[in-house]
Amino acid sequence: MNPFLSRLSGQNSWVVPVSIMALILGVMLNFAWITSTTRDDRLKRVTTGMADRLRTGGLDMIGEYSKMQEAMSALQKKVTQLENSMGSSDKESKMLNENLQEAKLFAGLVPVQGQGVKIVLSDAKSGDMTTEDVIIHDADVLKVVNELHAAHAEAISVNGHRVIARSSFRCVGPVIHVDNIPVASPITIIAIGNMEALFGGLNLPGGVLDEIRQTSPDMVSIEKLKSVHIEAYGGPTKTEFAIPVTAKSTEGSTEGKGE
Amino acid sequence: MILLPVLALVIGFSIPFLFKTGPITNFYGLYIGVACLAGLDSVLGGIRSGLEGKFHNDVFVTGFIANVIIALFLAWLGDQIGLDLFLVAVLVMGGRIYTNLSLIRRFVLTKWKDTQERTRLKEQQAQQAQSNG
Repeated sequence: MNPFLSRLSGQNSWVVPVSIMALILGVMLNFAWITSTTRDDRLKRVTTGMADRLRTGGLDMIGEYSKMQEAMSALQKKVTQLENSMGSSDKESKMLNENLQEAKLFAGLVPVQGQGVKIVLSDAKSGDMTTEDVIIHDADVLKVVNELHAAHAEAISVNGHRVIARSSFRCVGPVIHVDNIPVASPITIIAIGNMEALFGGLNLPGGVLDEIRQTSPDMVSIEKLKSVHIEAYGGPTKTEFAIPVTAKSTEGSTEGKGE
Repeated sequence: MILLPVLALVIGFSIPFLFKTGPITNFYGLYIGVACLAGLDSVLGGIRSGLEGKFHNDVFVTGFIANVIIALFLAWLGDQIGLDLFLVAVLVMGGRIYTNLSLIRRFVLTKWKDTQERTRLKEQQAQQAQSNG
């Protein structure tokens, strides 16, 4: 008689049915598994506390995003090249192109280089851990960026993401979203501008960094840099609702009348 | 013997990969999560009763199906009336999983200790027989 059969019958008869059920359970577990494709869909169905846990489950989209950003910056470079080659044909188009490049520089659509400062904000490692202040919040990042703008920073990036006029900083669970891209402590802010002015503006007594330093001095580090590189903005640039106002359409418009 | 259900679990988990179906995208996925817990409880209960020699096939199969269906029903009902009723299933099943696991552990431990004791006794007897002879 088959010794394997005899082992599975009689006293050990439970092994086969339990194994079959375990097989079904395995299939069910696979169906219930949360992956990056099902996460968003599942988030809608759960309570906020659970949603936070799910979101922290894996940020593998960051890798995906950086890949797409690379592709985007390559395409942007190509566009600039094409514009330049087209602009060199005659005088008018050359002037037009110069204007265009200026506008793109202002909008943050080209990578830039120059002197500036680098600020690193990290969660406190020591000190009174009972308060909320020991964590870097979206408001801290927002304040620093605002202060940099006030000190005439010409280009700013937060953890490699270029800050543009339409950028937003939002707190989502344990991470900060910069233009819907999750970033977490330590947060590296790089700004290009007059480095003395930027450095001085941030270190104002009672200023934004001073405030954070009062909680714990090791949360902030700032250094002047002779030359830094900031990548171009890699997010969507589509405008859906705002329509440019031409000279003609201004007549009869209700702009500024508070209707 | 305990390894066979574990192996089956791994095989079952990999079957959807073979057919490229993968996790369920719509909200049934959440319900299946609760059903998974019920299934896990039943399988562990089956292993326990098997080890204790009290295994009955009909009780096991109906228990598995009933547990899964009740868990699904509670989760669905909870969604309908705005109560987190699936927590009931989670707590009960979770508690039972712990009990079952501890009983299985105790059973395996006792068995292992028994074999050790037996070999020790055998060696003792052999030694005695040697010294006597």
